Amino acid sequence: MKNKTARFLVISLIGVALLCVCVFSFLAFHMSVQSARTINEVGTLYMSSMSQQISIHFESIIGLQMNQLKTLADTIPSSEIHTSRTLQENLIAQAQARDFTYLGFCASDGSLEMLYGSQLTVTDPQPFLDSLNKEQQKVAIGTNASGEKVILLGAPSPWPSAPEHDCVALVVGLPAEYISDNLSLEENNERAYSFIIRRDGSFVIRTNDAYRNNYFERVHALYESVNGMTPQQYVDALSAAMDQGEDYSNEFTMDGERYHLYCTSLPYSEWYLITFMPYGTMDSIVTRFSREWGSLTVLSAVLILAALLLVFYKYFGLTRQQLRDVENARTAAEQARKEAEHANRAKSEFLSNMSHDIRTPMNAIVGMTAIATANLDNTEQVKNCLKKITLSSKHLLGLINDVLDMSKIESGKMTLNLDQVSLREVVDGIVSICQPQVKAKHQHFDVFIHDISTENVLCDSVRLNQVLLNLLSNAIKFTPDGGEIHMALYEEDSPKGDNFVRTHIQVKDNGIGMSEEFQKHIFDSFAREDSARVHRTEGTGLGMAITKYIVMDAMGGAIQVSSRKGGGTEFNVTLDLEKALVVEEDMILPSWDMLVVDDDQQLCESTVDSLKSIGINAEWTLDGENAVGMVLKRHQRGSDYHIILLDWKLPGMDGIATARRMRQELGDNVPILLISAYDWADIEEDARNAGITGFISKPLFKSTLFNSLRQFADTPQADQAAEPQEERGRDLSGRHILLAEDNELNWEIASELLSEEGLILDWAENGQICVEMLQKSPAGYYDAVLMDVRMPIMGGYEATQVIRSLDRPDHDLPIIAMTADAFAEDVKRSIDCGMNGHIAKPIDVSEVMRLLGKFIK
Amino acid sequence: MTLQECYAALGGDYDEAMGRLRSERLVQKFVLKFLNDGSYQLLCDSLAAGDREEAFRAAHTIKGVCANLAFNTLLDSSEALTEALRDGRPAQAGEEDLIARVKADYDRAYQAIQAFQGGVAG
Repeated sequence: MKNKTARFLVISLIGVALLCVCVFSFLAFHMSVQSARTINEVGTLYMSSMSQQISIHFESIIGLQMNQLKTLADTIPSSEIHTSRTLQENLIAQAQARDFTYLGFCASDGSLEMLYGSQLTVTDPQPFLDSLNKEQQKVAIGTNASGEKVILLGAPSPWPSAPEHDCVALVVGLPAEYISDNLSLEENNERAYSFIIRRDGSFVIRTNDAYRNNYFERVHALYESVNGMTPQQYVDALSAAMDQGEDYSNEFTMDGERYHLYCTSLPYSEWYLITFMPYGTMDSIVTRFSREWGSLTVLSAVLILAALLLVFYKYFGLTRQQLRDVENARTAAEQARKEAEHANRAKSEFLSNMSHDIRTPMNAIVGMTAIATANLDNTEQVKNCLKKITLSSKHLLGLINDVLDMSKIESGKMTLNLDQVSLREVVDGIVSICQPQVKAKHQHFDVFIHDISTENVLCDSVRLNQVLLNLLSNAIKFTPDGGEIHMALYEEDSPKGDNFVRTHIQVKDNGIGMSEEFQKHIFDSFAREDSARVHRTEGTGLGMAITKYIVMDAMGGAIQVSSRKGGGTEFNVTLDLEKALVVEEDMILPSWDMLVVDDDQQLCESTVDSLKSIGINAEWTLDGENAVGMVLKRHQRGSDYHIILLDWKLPGMDGIATARRMRQELGDNVPILLISAYDWADIEEDARNAGITGFISKPLFKSTLFNSLRQFADTPQADQAAEPQEERGRDLSGRHILLAEDNELNWEIASELLSEEGLILDWAENGQICVEMLQKSPAGYYDAVLMDVRMPIMGGYEATQVIRSLDRPDHDLPIIAMTADAFAEDVKRSIDCGMNGHIAKPIDVSEVMRLLGKFIK
Repeated sequence: MTLQECYAALGGDYDEAMGRLRSERLVQKFVLKFLNDGSYQLLCDSLAAGDREEAFRAAHTIKGVCANLAFNTLLDSSEALTEALRDGRPAQAGEEDLIARVKADYDRAYQAIQAFQGGVAG
């Protein structure tokens, strides 16, 4: 299409250019022909008028002299004979007065009788005589004695002819120069000149550089061409014209120069005047004119061609632009069509998915209702059905909410309800919502906040919760059991000004990840990666579309995803939130010295900053060993830390072990708080045993720190003493306890102490004896076993496993480890072996009684 | 020599022991029984025989007894030795020092208790 247009344009351009050249060439040629013809015509006109003038001039000069001669003749009385003396003298006097150079009588045979001047001879006497005899005046040329040319004028004599004195005419002579001078045959014009010739071509008067006697000879010798004729043809044509008494005009070339010639007959004579003029002058004018014309022509041609080229070029460009526009429009239309098709397909797919997704819980509800109705008497069954119905209803409600949100978004009706929101409350809420799911999948979940300068912002808390929940529930959903999920929250200055704070939220997991392809569509409505591994996963595929809409369109933030198939997913949300103008509670605590122990340096620094802002001087360290060292140093100096914050998970020595070591050094005076992102119910027991005073939940917002630490400000350690008493109330007197302990001294101590509590103890010296004693006893005789771990022959772990595998109804009796090992892994191992609890040595009677009370039924 | 002086001599915490056992009678009873405890002998014999597992158990037992009796000096050194012997670890540089420390602390405790016993008897 494009090429076709271009070819057409090129061909037409060449065609028009050729036409242009042809037309202008023809014009130029025509003009040059025309100008040549014009020169010719102008030349002819000019020459004829010039020749006429010369001819008239000649006539008047000769006429004048003739009149003189006539007058001279008339002075002589016709009665006298010309031979009379007086007459002759009279004539001579009068002739000299009239400036004639020669005077004589002409006889009928043509001989001249001179009255004065040297003897003359007529060069061509016959026509001269013929005219004189007919009594006509005539001009002729003759030569004098010295051979110079002389013009002869003859007039018929008025006297009768006498036989003895034959006289037919009176003849006077003038030097030939008289005519040529008077006619200005040479000087008439700069370049023009004239000859006077006879019929046969012989010169009467020769001018210029002519030296031959005959003009025709000159023609043959010098003329290069005569307007396309040979010199002979020209001579013939000239002679013919002379014969018919017509004027003749032609042009010829001589010495490379073009001349114009004009021939006309002269009166009173047999002579012909032939005038020449070189073209030079006129030619140069006309040539200049035609050259100008030529260059003008070329210039015009070039101009027109240039204009054509320009028009062509512009048109070509325009055409191409149009083609491009058309192409673009076509592509855009195609794109739009594809997108529309894709959206349509996605919607259809969504509808079919939805109908399946809605039907599944609906079926469950209908089915479970039917089962429950059929088993109204079976309370257990009905309860079970109702539980399942509740779950399905919740799921269905979630689906419907998502669809409603999406339709709100699509109709542009979703608006934000800005209110003062505490980020701490939002995060705490989210963490507690996600905790059960995380726990169910045994995932490691960690929340990390730092650099939080503003906790209270203006935001739609419902929508913010929705975003966080979507991101986290996706992370949980698409991360396999035992995977890791991290959530981070931090703030920085906002480019929107001092009233805003830029808040970053990051949710990261090490789950199944997403393909590159899918990442492009993750924020599309109804998108869900179509592969076998996610088919099991429930959801509408609207969550991310809603999330994106809330973050980007409604809140004006940004959301980014980076993921690798099998390599986990990371979402980053950036929001510029307006700071809430609330008078923050005056959060100031006494200027305590505190220690923060966490393996994350950023968390340490951030926490120390937060503590500083509430008036507390804090130090930090990254591991338990260092922490113990620092605590010890302060202890020795006598300036203990007021409070110690300890992370549960530390490299090497964990938080509980560290706390235990600290307790050994410090005694019970210093509160030690354990930092945990988890619900700490599981570890509380061990932690309390190790001397942990209390817990503080991640993330550590300033307000979290303040609220947790405030209790120590008024009555430090006030609540400590009271607490251990709580679970001690139970009376276990008379219970039978089997105590496996290889060391007699330890056994005696334990026995002594526990007997005081009313327990009845039996001693087994090692694991094997312990098992045997249990086997020999009647079922249910022993209420619990206190098991040392390190024993000869059979250790505590092994013994526990054997007891658990016994075929006795009381094989699941409470077994509590009692050992000097108090590391977290020992605790874990004892639980793994089937023990119910773990007590560290040295023996703490109240703790033993608490645990026994807890496990004995 | 009083019981307190004995505890001071062997580097223990009398108050802690009292807190746990609640009567001076019991503390005295168990402290004196410490002299008859075979764990230390077992430790020495096992180390001499190259039985590191048995040695670990013996050290562990000493550690447990000391914890109960609040013999903190011997508790520290026996705990260090226990960790060095744990899980059948091969001998490390400095282990000899740990053993020497346990022996020195044990001798110190043993002599202190003997001196106390002499006082009680006399």
